[in-house]
Amino acid sequence: MLASIPSATLHGVDGRAVSVEVHVSGGLPGFTVVGLPDAAVRESRDRVRAALSSSGLEWPRHRITVNLAPSGTRKGGSGLDLPIAVGVLVPDGSLPRACVEDTACIGELGLDGSLRSVPGIVPMVAALRCSRVVVPAECVSDARLVGGHEVRAAASLGGLVHALRGEGPWAEARSVDTERAVLPLIPDLADVRGQTVGRRALEVAAAGGHHLLLVGPPGSGKTMLAHRLPGLLPPLGQDEALEVTRIHSAAGIALVGGALAERPPFRAPHHSATEVSLIGGGTAWLRPGEISLAHGGVLFLDELGEFPAVALDMLRQPLEEGVVRIRRARRAVDLPARFLLVGAMNPCPCGEGSVPGACRCTDAARARYARRLSAPLLDRFDLALSLGRPDVDDLLGGPRGESSASVAERVRFTRVIAATRGVRCNAEIAPESLDEFAPLSPDAAALLERRLRAGALSARGLHRVRRVARTLGDLDGTGELIGARQMVEALHLRDAGCTRPAGSSS
Amino acid sequence: MRSVDDLADDERFAAAIAALGAGPVRTRRFLEGFDPVTAWEALAAGRHPGDPDRHYQSKARPALLESVGACCTRNGVAVRLFGRPGYPATLAGDHEAPGVLFTLGDPSVLDTSPRVAIVGTRSATPYGLSVASELGRGLAEAGVVVVSGLARGIDSAAHAGALAVAGGSAPVAVLGTAPDAAVHRAEAQLKQAIAEKGAVLSERAPGSSGTPVWCFAVRNRMLAALAHVVVVVECHRKGGSLNTVKAASDRGVTVAAVPGSVRSSASAGCNALLVDGATPVRDVQDVLAAVELAITGLPGIVPPRTPPRASPDRAAAARAPSPMAARTLRALDHDPASLDTVVRRCALPLADVAEALEQLAAAGLATGSGGWWSRSNR
Repeated sequence: MLASIPSATLHGVDGRAVSVEVHVSGGLPGFTVVGLPDAAVRESRDRVRAALSSSGLEWPRHRITVNLAPSGTRKGGSGLDLPIAVGVLVPDGSLPRACVEDTACIGELGLDGSLRSVPGIVPMVAALRCSRVVVPAECVSDARLVGGHEVRAAASLGGLVHALRGEGPWAEARSVDTERAVLPLIPDLADVRGQTVGRRALEVAAAGGHHLLLVGPPGSGKTMLAHRLPGLLPPLGQDEALEVTRIHSAAGIALVGGALAERPPFRAPHHSATEVSLIGGGTAWLRPGEISLAHGGVLFLDELGEFPAVALDMLRQPLEEGVVRIRRARRAVDLPARFLLVGAMNPCPCGEGSVPGACRCTDAARARYARRLSAPLLDRFDLALSLGRPDVDDLLGGPRGESSASVAERVRFTRVIAATRGVRCNAEIAPESLDEFAPLSPDAAALLERRLRAGALSARGLHRVRRVARTLGDLDGTGELIGARQMVEALHLRDAGCTRPAGSSS
Repeated sequence: MRSVDDLADDERFAAAIAALGAGPVRTRRFLEGFDPVTAWEALAAGRHPGDPDRHYQSKARPALLESVGACCTRNGVAVRLFGRPGYPATLAGDHEAPGVLFTLGDPSVLDTSPRVAIVGTRSATPYGLSVASELGRGLAEAGVVVVSGLARGIDSAAHAGALAVAGGSAPVAVLGTAPDAAVHRAEAQLKQAIAEKGAVLSERAPGSSGTPVWCFAVRNRMLAALAHVVVVVECHRKGGSLNTVKAASDRGVTVAAVPGSVRSSASAGCNALLVDGATPVRDVQDVLAAVELAITGLPGIVPPRTPPRASPDRAAAARAPSPMAARTLRALDHDPASLDTVVRRCALPLADVAEALEQLAAAGLATGSGGWWSRSNR
């Protein structure tokens, strides 16, 4: 009197195969779920019972024990409703054992027996080893992205039972709502008037994958520039697209058009974000944070100075390693987090601090504001730019700038060169390979030495400035050797980061 | 010079009365006409010294007496009482002279030299800082005592300029904080240097914790009282320096101001003062002329040595190192401009402008900080 239905649960951004074992025996009628279920799984008892009776199926008047194997790990989520319901039907013969052979089920049940979608379909299906998978009708397109499975749709429990028995047709895959299928428009760089330096920095950031800090008074166009960055980035490669799709699916974010993510994601959390929402974690299952959702794309932190300082400092390790290792007493998960960080902030609370002599903040207020960003975090920005308010003539009558498409073409070309060095972009060149890929001309070396001796550059800053100079060389097509020209430009593009944003001067 | 190691009894008691934290007027009233020891005893008994029938609750405790005395001795702070020898005669003539003065160094220079107060904003532009330092240097060379408040920005720049002159006149700093108050390193070094060469004055007792805002306002009236001429280098429209200006005009002290760009908010206060009739200052000669007018008829003040006016075409000496640099230099101004603005004015690619700026900075023709660029003053 035993049935075993394969299914899966989420763990971070990965799926874990779970075998739902249902045992029906004599004795007093009862229903227990064992194998470390969380609250959502324990509640599924009641959903399954109601769904079965709503679907006109008989509830076995026996003792039912459900075990979620492997029983040592905690299971969460409502996706186990369907395998439990199917498992209950098999032992008493409502559903012939042969009909569910090699078939996995994932889905949440409504009390009326209908099936509802669950987050994380992509990684969960990827974790399954059987040939046929039954998922809610809305999830079919997501599940098919994985490949290698025969994906079947189910709209209701009753319909599914009929289809499994071979007495009725399978449900149609329900297409995603039309508004979900429309790709959000990315604003074009041509709308930005003036801002020569800002545009250049944006192009360099996109081409080399360099983290960018924009400092400027309100209305200087920081946010406008940042929102145009995704339009410059090349589309995701096949592997990257799968990884990004997996992460977004795990976080329950609707996949655009039910297809693989093609465009690099752009995440812009509000500055009230908590540490866990940025980094990842949580109680139910270790949910990916914003930095993982921005994996392969852009994480834009507007009003950087208003984020909790603790949360910002937590970005330091993922920024270096491209992965965040979340550890809890009972669970551990490594989430991918390779993103391009764009920060925007005012130079001081009143916003005028970057123009010398214009700031009216008190010393204490400025010192407090400057303390929000730790020096190690500032050091991790390859490009730091002080923006002024745009020129009135540019705003009103200036020509439209170069379009995103033509800048993106140069960016794509630079990424192709980077690929010949064995990296995705120049920002990933290892420090020990810098001498090979970014050799310095004597002039450039002398310039760097002067800055180092003056204490205006740290060792980390040195590597970063060399990588930026490498990107500049690639963009301008000036060959392997880094000249003084590229080096000077690279140094000027990180000028605003060398001095702390107002305050601590004598 | 008298040793500060052993404070006399009345000095100890006067210092403790100043440490009670009452305002300057009340502190002086406590001491006026009484022996400090008697005044302290009255206060300790909860009475007002001037009116024994009146209750007056204060923090006068033996422990305070001990700690203030120890603090003065430890930091080498001298206590000078109004109306006693050692108190600067210049200050004694003022109607708001402090009852007790705490000093580091030797303030006797105040009584024999012409004195100019250089004041201005803490958030100064490179232009203001270089003018302040130039004036400080020029005045020190001419034998004029530079009096300032030792604040960040203009004050510190003026003092640094004055100290840079070997054999120049002694600088005097008037603090709003206690003479031993913790400040950051650069400021502490400056204070040390001023105390060694000139004097540091404060009416706040050593060991006082915190500094209420009014302390800086009452400090400003002392600056005005000590100066023959008050020069405002850079000041915002409602800057604290206007406080000093008001105190100066109340006392009939000449007020001079350095003009600035009409677009620079840091010069708005100065330009407004000029419109109201303040003496314009272009260089140290203008200040010295005002000083000479101010000290005419004052006995015992050594007139300043006026150096010959510098040749007017300083700009001719500045040679841009390359045509590109020359073009970039033309795009620069004395007001700081963002890199983006400079690039737009030059109409050159960023790399060219960056290279040119680097050359100009190396040649001392331009200065940049945090991505903002301006012409250097020489």
